[in-house]
Amino acid sequence: MGKLTIGCFSSLVGSMTLDFAVKLAEAARKKGHDVDVWLSGNGTMLAKKGQRSFKDYSALEKTITELIADGSNVVACEACAEARGIHKEDLISGLGIKSADWYLASCFSADRVVHIGGE
Amino acid sequence: MAKIGVFLSQHRNSNDTLDRLSKGSFDVVLVQNGVYCAAIKENGQSSPVLGRGTKVYAMSEDLVSRGIEPSQVASNVTVVNFDGLVDLIFNEFTKTIWL
Amino acid sequence: MIKKIAFVVDKMPYKSESSRLTLTHAIASQTVEIHLDDGDNVEPVLAFIGEGVLNCLKNQKASEVYGVTTLESHIKNALLTDIKLLICEEDVKKYGLTEDQIIMDAEDIGADITSELVPFSEIMSAMELADHIVYS
Repeated sequence: MGKLTIGCFSSLVGSMTLDFAVKLAEAARKKGHDVDVWLSGNGTMLAKKGQRSFKDYSALEKTITELIADGSNVVACEACAEARGIHKEDLISGLGIKSADWYLASCFSADRVVHIGGE
Repeated sequence: MAKIGVFLSQHRNSNDTLDRLSKGSFDVVLVQNGVYCAAIKENGQSSPVLGRGTKVYAMSEDLVSRGIEPSQVASNVTVVNFDGLVDLIFNEFTKTIWL
Repeated sequence: MIKKIAFVVDKMPYKSESSRLTLTHAIASQTVEIHLDDGDNVEPVLAFIGEGVLNCLKNQKASEVYGVTTLESHIKNALLTDIKLLICEEDVKKYGLTEDQIIMDAEDIGADITSELVPFSEIMSAMELADHIVYS
């Protein structure tokens, strides 16, 4: 089994790109791979807890909580999150907050990296 | 040979980067709106993305989400699901680019 | 062990955050060692292709106009931190730009290295040589 690092700059609501990233993360975990997910830029919107779930909008808090409970590292860029008013106390339980060098270190130890740029 | 998996997430007939990547260095994975390239013809013409001599994969989940059945894609496109994509990433590609 | 990461920018600046984030992530390679074992490190290469070369125009004034750091400033910081910086010469030509319009150095802030105008084939080689690609 290997390690997959997924980086995503895209926002939670609108493009469905984060939905894709999270489904990929789930599939990799189910196959026994280690998974790190890095959220940067608008991707940090996924990190905020308490998002109300509507059928018209992407809602991933439950899935992310399960991914974290299953051993995946899901980490948001601290500066990107703070710039959007998302502070440590606002994060989904277990979700990390780090600087960008964490992502590069995750890439260093990864067998594969899927980096998804922003819109 | 080590291959780059190029994820095409938009429906465009051309892409500067795709046009210039060395032949044989990459395969294409159609994801999100990129899956339209697998099945939709413009003015009767298949997407040029399918005619590059590369392997082309399309995500089944993104196809069916958009009302396209896997049976409708061009014959040279291989349909994969997320499980299959994970295997491609680990077994067929060494690196990926998301366009 | 050294692992190479190619950071490739193909988006225009300002309207999207992509190029700014790619630059800040490339520059973050300067502090990645704190997370790694002794002797391990990341070697970045930063490349601008397609519309991304427009990030490299000189005399950006977004700081005065909008109060945000310019991409010019980030590019100069990348040079200051000795990140190998490649700019696609075919795309510079395609947009009718000349070398004197492009950020080729950061001598004003003390950088020793300069940008390199190179053919796309050289950027392709850098991507092939890299262990991972951060393309945005």
